[in-house]
Amino acid sequence: MPKSMGYAILEAIQGEMRRDKLLTLFYEYQTPAAGWSNRSINLEAEFGRTRVRFCAIDEEWIVGGAMGMSMTGVPAIAHIPSMATFIPYELMFNHAGKLRHMTGGQAAFPMVLWADMARRWAFQGGQHADAGLESSYARLAGLKVVIPSTPYDAKGLMVSAIRDVDPVVYCQYPVPSAGPEVPDEPYTVPIGEPAIRTEGKDITIVGYAPQTAEIARAVEELKKDGISAEFIDPRTLAPLEGVMPTIIESVKKTGRLLTSDEGSYTFCNCAEIIARVAEAVPGAKFKRLAFPDAPAPGAPEMLNYMNVDATRIAAAARRLLKA
Amino acid sequence: MKSLTRRVSKIKTVPQKKRDGPGISRRSFVKSLGGIGAGTVFLSTGIAKRAAAQYGPVYTDGLSAEQLTDMYTTMLKIRLWETKIKDLILAGGFRGVAHLYVGQEAIAVGVCSALRKDDYIASNHRGHGHLIAKGGDLGKMLAEITHKATGYCKGYGGSLHITDISLGILGMNGVVGAAHLFAAGAAYGIKVKGTDQIAVSFGGDGSLQNSFFTSAANAASAWKLPWIAVIENNAFQIWVRSSDVYGTQDLARRADGFGIEGRVVDGNDVLSVYNVARYAVEKARAGNGPTVIECKTYRWYDHYGAGGARIGVDGAFGLGYRSDRELRDWMAKDPIVRFRKFLVSEKVLTEERAEEIVAEVRQAVEDAAKFAEAQPVPKPEDGLLNVFAEGSVPLHNS
Repeated sequence: MPKSMGYAILEAIQGEMRRDKLLTLFYEYQTPAAGWSNRSINLEAEFGRTRVRFCAIDEEWIVGGAMGMSMTGVPAIAHIPSMATFIPYELMFNHAGKLRHMTGGQAAFPMVLWADMARRWAFQGGQHADAGLESSYARLAGLKVVIPSTPYDAKGLMVSAIRDVDPVVYCQYPVPSAGPEVPDEPYTVPIGEPAIRTEGKDITIVGYAPQTAEIARAVEELKKDGISAEFIDPRTLAPLEGVMPTIIESVKKTGRLLTSDEGSYTFCNCAEIIARVAEAVPGAKFKRLAFPDAPAPGAPEMLNYMNVDATRIAAAARRLLKA
Repeated sequence: MKSLTRRVSKIKTVPQKKRDGPGISRRSFVKSLGGIGAGTVFLSTGIAKRAAAQYGPVYTDGLSAEQLTDMYTTMLKIRLWETKIKDLILAGGFRGVAHLYVGQEAIAVGVCSALRKDDYIASNHRGHGHLIAKGGDLGKMLAEITHKATGYCKGYGGSLHITDISLGILGMNGVVGAAHLFAAGAAYGIKVKGTDQIAVSFGGDGSLQNSFFTSAANAASAWKLPWIAVIENNAFQIWVRSSDVYGTQDLARRADGFGIEGRVVDGNDVLSVYNVARYAVEKARAGNGPTVIECKTYRWYDHYGAGGARIGVDGAFGLGYRSDRELRDWMAKDPIVRFRKFLVSEKVLTEERAEEIVAEVRQAVEDAAKFAEAQPVPKPEDGLLNVFAEGSVPLHNS
């Protein structure tokens, strides 16, 4: 049984808290403890309640307190739940992303906003815990936004996020365990580096975290039809400068870009990726799949009709190839 | 300095929890003022005498003549430097904005005189005074306000974001109330570091409106953080009288609900402010948690800029939302004039020396203005830097 994403993230934080004796974690209710195989991690037991603080329901304190702390040399992680992802938005927009610039490089918030993200799944009662909010953070200047799709990336990106001296929004979607095994020792996955999940030559497909499993299945379906799809996971959504060359090179080769977002259509993160490819690759053809611009209904009949899935991704790829 | 003891009996720190004790209650005292309005409460010497006798240690005795003179000088620096900015704005072509602090100098100086250099302050939009009191350089500050390349923030920030981490200045801040949250966060960081520093946030009466203060106060109370919130109640939030939008008039009472000690003090009396700040600092350093200090005061100028003001004349008159008579009443309680009278009567300064200091500070302000004027403007392309620690962001306008 591979390490889960949750365990991999705690392993990353544990390693960094051992390395940096000041690193502090604020969380709302998500107990930072997990087990795997015959091992277990319990951050509060290991590092004490001052450095691992159960703050309960006050997202402004969790994030704003972590910011004040990080500004004075105590790096901090602020873990907030998925239904509250937007409460700290003002703090991240007006302070976290701007402090370094507005102080001429003098001050900064070396903090991680570890935001739980929600899937558009049935029976979740999940209208408030919604998908797609990462694009709202990704458009704020001065913030880095990472979004792991596998436990391996989750650990490496968390280590990178903690070590980064700029504020990082770390979006954790619940995704099935897949991908390479997670080493016990600390390692980094560099921020701004995409992953080519599957190489191909006929069409480029871009998607991340909540969509990776569906895209991977779609790629397998297309293979049965003899279509060779190249699947790229950006892993970082902001800044995109490091990510784009890989995607642009791929579309230059395939001439076609299909994207899939679990979030709503308008201003979905892949819309930005398409715009940048369109500027760089004249004549390329595009298709953007996403959830409608509607709240996610709880009933599965409605939800499944509106969601993107592997079959729809494969069908869109076939249409785009004929276009 | 023996004579200072006499003065100390005038310290007007009234812990309001005991306000309904024997003798005149605060409420009836306020009524006896004839309903001037909550922002204009001035505590009587009688109450203050009892307060000094009944509550807490008196720290002002320990201030040396040199410290007292420094406090006077710093108050003057704030007054004359900001008055210069007002005149520059009125002269036209000023490369920036300013929310003037004039009238409130006793608070910045009283509080910061009780702090160490390594203590933190988080300031707000009306924060020039706090920064000067914490050691900010007049020339570099004016260079920053006028967006010059050698200002504190290299011209990126301007008035609202002046920061000097080396002086413990966590920055002025354009978002009202945010300072409370960041200072409380810094106070939590002090706990993690295990040092005996303090973090102070300055906010106006309006800074209690949104939820930042609430979150800060709750955390500071729960974990006994070394946090002090200084609420400068200057009667107005932007252009509305706070008593029109608040159900409670003594804002320090809001601390009660968090289990935090709240003190009300005459914000135009630098020694009263110092005394209560020092009390809060000693308490916090000893690990005994936060204090909220409400300082009753009044701003001489408009919310921002120099509306209603004239070159060479103090105060902004003819503003629709307040009365000129009320302003004149408060200007008669000028904290600097009052402190100077006291220093002269206590023979800390002679009239001549007090006047010399005015001339010295005036010169320092003129030097600062010349320095700022002569500074280079930033390179345009530097706007793409400092978004992240490394590199620059691409330009997209061509």
